[in-house]
Amino acid sequence: MENTAVSKHTTSFGLSLALCAVLNALLVIAKERSKGVAAWMQKVTGHHWITHVAIILVLFALFGWCFGRMNNGRGPQMAADRLTRIVSSGVAAGVLIVLAFYLIAD
Amino acid sequence: MTEVVLLGHVLFGVGCLITTVWLFVDVLNAHEGNLVRIRWMTRAAAVFLWLAFVVGGYWYVVDYKADKDVILKGPWPLAHNFFMETKEHFVITLLLLATYLPIAASNNLAVNKEARRLVLCVAALVAVLALMAEGHGAIISMGVKTGLLAKPN
Repeated sequence: MENTAVSKHTTSFGLSLALCAVLNALLVIAKERSKGVAAWMQKVTGHHWITHVAIILVLFALFGWCFGRMNNGRGPQMAADRLTRIVSSGVAAGVLIVLAFYLIAD
Repeated sequence: MTEVVLLGHVLFGVGCLITTVWLFVDVLNAHEGNLVRIRWMTRAAAVFLWLAFVVGGYWYVVDYKADKDVILKGPWPLAHNFFMETKEHFVITLLLLATYLPIAASNNLAVNKEARRLVLCVAALVAVLALMAEGHGAIISMGVKTGLLAKPN
């Protein structure tokens, strides 16, 4: 029988990637729509984009680590094909939200 | 110096794109004999993307303002208002994808069909987004060019 299991880190960081792709898009909307958020992001590092990148990278590492600690340290249990669907959907949703926001809403 | 930084950004981006396409083909034919090369290719793609990101990010933060002013006063303001605004944000997702590639390829792709499909999917997303970033970059450059050409003498 063929092996279909993937490592704990593959699953936990895959889920983190999908989540952060969407959060990245939501952060774009938040800073473009709220002057307060934009000003805060500008103030923290001197440039809103650097703060944006730092937030997403920290969240990616943090969520990946947290997901990996689920189920007594065994990480989330799911089939690799389901993980593939979640990763592709999260990334597609994140990118499409960014494109649609600047195309339509902004 | 600005031109060297920009050329470096494009060069590393293209390096990531070519590496990822190579990786995609290698993973389609994954077997015990090419697993080591596949893992090295995922690391190379991640390194290329990080270099492109850091170099491009430096240029964006330090040097872009002058180009932005030219674009916004020129006939192609969309080169900034849509193409730069979207590029600077979707490349963050691209960076996460490229960083995730070596993690996804740490499984035994020679015997695990589902893990292989995951790496193929991530590699394809990296390639598509990298190509999109290259296209956006070209339009931003054209925005600057048309802005400069439109300037009254």
